[in-house]
Amino acid sequence: MSARFRWLIIGPSIVYLAMFAAFTLAGSIYLSLQNRTLGEKLSPFVGIRNFQRLFNDHRFHNALAVSAIWELVTVFGTMVLATALAVALYEYVKRRQLRDLLCLLFLIPILLPRVAVAYIWRFIYSPTLGIANYLGTQVGLPPSIFLSSPDGALYWVAAVDIWQWALFYTVIIAKLIETLPPEPLEAAKMDSAGTLVTYGQIILPMLSAPMLSLALVKSIESLRSFDLIFIMTGGGPGTATETLDLLVYQVGLNLTGRVSYASAMSLVLLIVTAAGLAAIWKGTRKWAV
Amino acid sequence: MGSLVTKAIGYALLAIAAAVAVLPILWTLINSFKELHDIITPIPVFIFVPTLENYSTILGSSAVLNGLKNSVFVVFGSVFFGAILGIPAAYAIARSSLRAKAELQFFFLSMRFTPPVAIAVPLVVLYLQLNLYDSVTGLVLVYLVVSLATIVWLSVPAFARVPLEIEEAARMDGCSSFVVMTRFAIPVALPSLFGALVFTFVLLWNELLLALILTAKNGTLPVVAAAITSLGKEVPWGVINATTIILTVPPLLVVGLILRFIKINARAR
Repeated sequence: MSARFRWLIIGPSIVYLAMFAAFTLAGSIYLSLQNRTLGEKLSPFVGIRNFQRLFNDHRFHNALAVSAIWELVTVFGTMVLATALAVALYEYVKRRQLRDLLCLLFLIPILLPRVAVAYIWRFIYSPTLGIANYLGTQVGLPPSIFLSSPDGALYWVAAVDIWQWALFYTVIIAKLIETLPPEPLEAAKMDSAGTLVTYGQIILPMLSAPMLSLALVKSIESLRSFDLIFIMTGGGPGTATETLDLLVYQVGLNLTGRVSYASAMSLVLLIVTAAGLAAIWKGTRKWAV
Repeated sequence: MGSLVTKAIGYALLAIAAAVAVLPILWTLINSFKELHDIITPIPVFIFVPTLENYSTILGSSAVLNGLKNSVFVVFGSVFFGAILGIPAAYAIARSSLRAKAELQFFFLSMRFTPPVAIAVPLVVLYLQLNLYDSVTGLVLVYLVVSLATIVWLSVPAFARVPLEIEEAARMDGCSSFVVMTRFAIPVALPSLFGALVFTFVLLWNELLLALILTAKNGTLPVVAAAITSLGKEVPWGVINATTIILTVPPLLVVGLILRFIKINARAR
């Protein structure tokens, strides 16, 4: 392939994406230095005042903390549960058709639109009408108020995110285990090593590179918590489930339209996530080789 | 082999997971055929007189039909243009040197790093000035970023699996680079490329945030669905369940294709 042809077919995509990225970044910076609301066209420049205000904004600090918890819980929850399920699937379901059928079922939640997922679970979680409390009380659990609980709401929403992603990753990790050479597994069994030891010390280390990539992808996707939280709790009760993207939406677009302040927030969000993820990406690349 | 206890735990875990995977959507499907008084009961009702009222309500609503039309145009438009630009780009990346390949792939993946809300704030300001706000065109322009990044990301491995011998033989026969790509590389990689397009389709079909922010009356189906609860005081659960089912049908139709795509990719690793 000639260099000219290469640039001809890759150039348009790069130019489009680079222009888009440059514009949104420049736009965010430009807006963040003003004091502008959505209706206005002109506004005075206020320097870095918006950023200074962020330091003292309790709602912003709360959103940072909520986002951090959300990120940790959903990424770890997904990886741990998916690994356990994938091992169980590989180890105990030997019949091909049955395994494929289970994989098919496990793929369903991730394919559902998040809006649909949010409605489905909001109804399931409903304290008086929901089937969760009905089933729970049948087996003797105390009834829960789920999404109305300031301490629990974030975790109940996170459980829904994990429901979607862990089942999806189960399929991928199970398929990855299937591709491994069978010899180490058989050798370990000959030595009558237990299942946990076999997987913990032999199988999973062989998959460390793709598993890290999966964790990276999940941590990127976990940043998109908006749809689920927006519909399930709207950030409430109070600000108990208000993640950063929800806060940016509420401040900048929904009611007040303070686009300048929202831009300052989203720039902080952008810098933190881009730096963090770029570091992880470079790290996993080194590990993978 | 593990002990009998771990085996039992394994089976139980899988059975619960399978039930939890499917039952919520089945429960929604059942509820979508119920009248409101059969839905809002403290004890779930399993025997009831089914009704199509919820479906006729939403399919008779101009907002839902408009959302459906917008979703179809926006999603297919973005996937189409994303494929035209992204598939050749992915081919070029797959045939680059190792180093350039890593850098370029990172560039395309980094587009996914950006939180959508960070894009949305400056865009809504620009769109209002350019009269792109609340338009199908405006939404396609943003979705194209998502679809390009995703299609390129998933298509590079597809091309990497095309045997180079095929392309070399074609080149020996005097085919130009363009012909080698369109007549040989793309057809061989097509099953995986198709998987990448299906994946992108699902991703965009389900997208809420950007559409919610950049449109008002011309929203996509998720935007229309998200607005249903705010219509009145009493939550119309029957209608919500029916909308959920309609929103869910297109992605569920492709679940088999997605599984095949995952298998191809895992095997070729």
